Amino acid sequence: MTESWGQFKSFEGKKFKALDAEFTKEVSNLLGGQDLTACFQCAKCSAGCPVSDKVNIQVHEVMRMLLFGLKEVLETDMVWLCSTCYTCQERCPQGIDITDILFGLKNMAFKKGITPQGYIGARQSLYNTGRLYEPTDWERDDLELDPVPELNVDDTKKMLDKTKLMKLEEGE
Amino acid sequence: MTQSYEVFLGCAIPARFNNYESSMRALAKELGIKLIDFEGASCCGTVVLKSIDENSWLSMSGRNIALAEQRGHDIVTPCNGCFGSLKDTDHVLHDDESYRKKVNAALKPLGLEYTGKVKIRHFVEVLYDMKDEISKKIVKRLDGLKIWDMKLRCCGSPLLIASEDVATKILQEKMVSANGAGANCVVTNCPACHTQFDIQQIGLKDDEGNSLELPALFVTQVLGIAMGIDPEVLGFELNRVSLDPINEILGI
Repeated sequence: MTESWGQFKSFEGKKFKALDAEFTKEVSNLLGGQDLTACFQCAKCSAGCPVSDKVNIQVHEVMRMLLFGLKEVLETDMVWLCSTCYTCQERCPQGIDITDILFGLKNMAFKKGITPQGYIGARQSLYNTGRLYEPTDWERDDLELDPVPELNVDDTKKMLDKTKLMKLEEGE
Repeated sequence: MTQSYEVFLGCAIPARFNNYESSMRALAKELGIKLIDFEGASCCGTVVLKSIDENSWLSMSGRNIALAEQRGHDIVTPCNGCFGSLKDTDHVLHDDESYRKKVNAALKPLGLEYTGKVKIRHFVEVLYDMKDEISKKIVKRLDGLKIWDMKLRCCGSPLLIASEDVATKILQEKMVSANGAGANCVVTNCPACHTQFDIQQIGLKDDEGNSLELPALFVTQVLGIAMGIDPEVLGFELNRVSLDPINEILGI
């Protein structure tokens, strides 16, 4: 199966349609995006990143694409292969909330349908059950652990209806 | 003074690592930490949901915090994912009025409100605060146990949902380093890391085909053994990678 994400594989020979200042502004308004323009490309983020040697586009390159207003950044594999370990954010000498920005980019990509399949299923089960996984009862019985406290799924459903979790794509 | 918290278990621990919960409860009992059941807890919010939609994540996580707040309790969790999610949400909602308003609008129909009174702690932070007390309770020295912790390197677990290949490469790099350092076990305080070390690690080999398997323990299991707690309660039966190489040291 061809993945819908990570299709931007190289800058080689790539022509960009526009440098979209509005896109840069939009990203600056994300949680953690306020210091985006302080990036001076030292690449210390990429030097500490556990996936730098496993991606086509590295995290400092993502930061550069954001400053240039290149929307194609949402199609880079770095967006979804960020393991969210926060090492880049810890290391950034400019104090930029890099990992938080990447979360925002994931949100933007998801709305455009650019996402690994696993996330689609996870969203459905979070909505349906309010949880990611169900308890393994025989293990709990063995260890004489009490049942996991109950959750009324209607409560979380009501809330997620309000945040339109299941209708994110329609906003496009 | 007795500390008391609502204990936030999350999804991963009751699903995969009930030995972590059991050993945590045993330590809490031994140390006089009162753990109250977290009625109505949902998923913590999780980085998975944060990746999809920040507002839904803040609301999901904010609801859990608001539940404890309504009951006047602080929160403790043994899960790094839950801790990260709850603490991160607390930080955002505390600092940013516009997000707080949005989340409280989603919580209002449930009769809940976030105001920021609840303290959110990781169980290991609580243990750290009690380290002097704990050292007085150690009855069994674990000489010979060589714990490896490539401390600040990500375990790769969050990538299992996007790419098992990349997640496994990260794990392999870590385990090559662990074996090279002469460790005879890996210890974590996180069910996501443990998914890598006690599930994905099974049968893991380096590029030459040498086994990289090392026993994986929870910090609460190591401490529990050192404090003389019954191994059965600590749940060693449920550890998946064989503990044979360190059985003797642990005395199990």
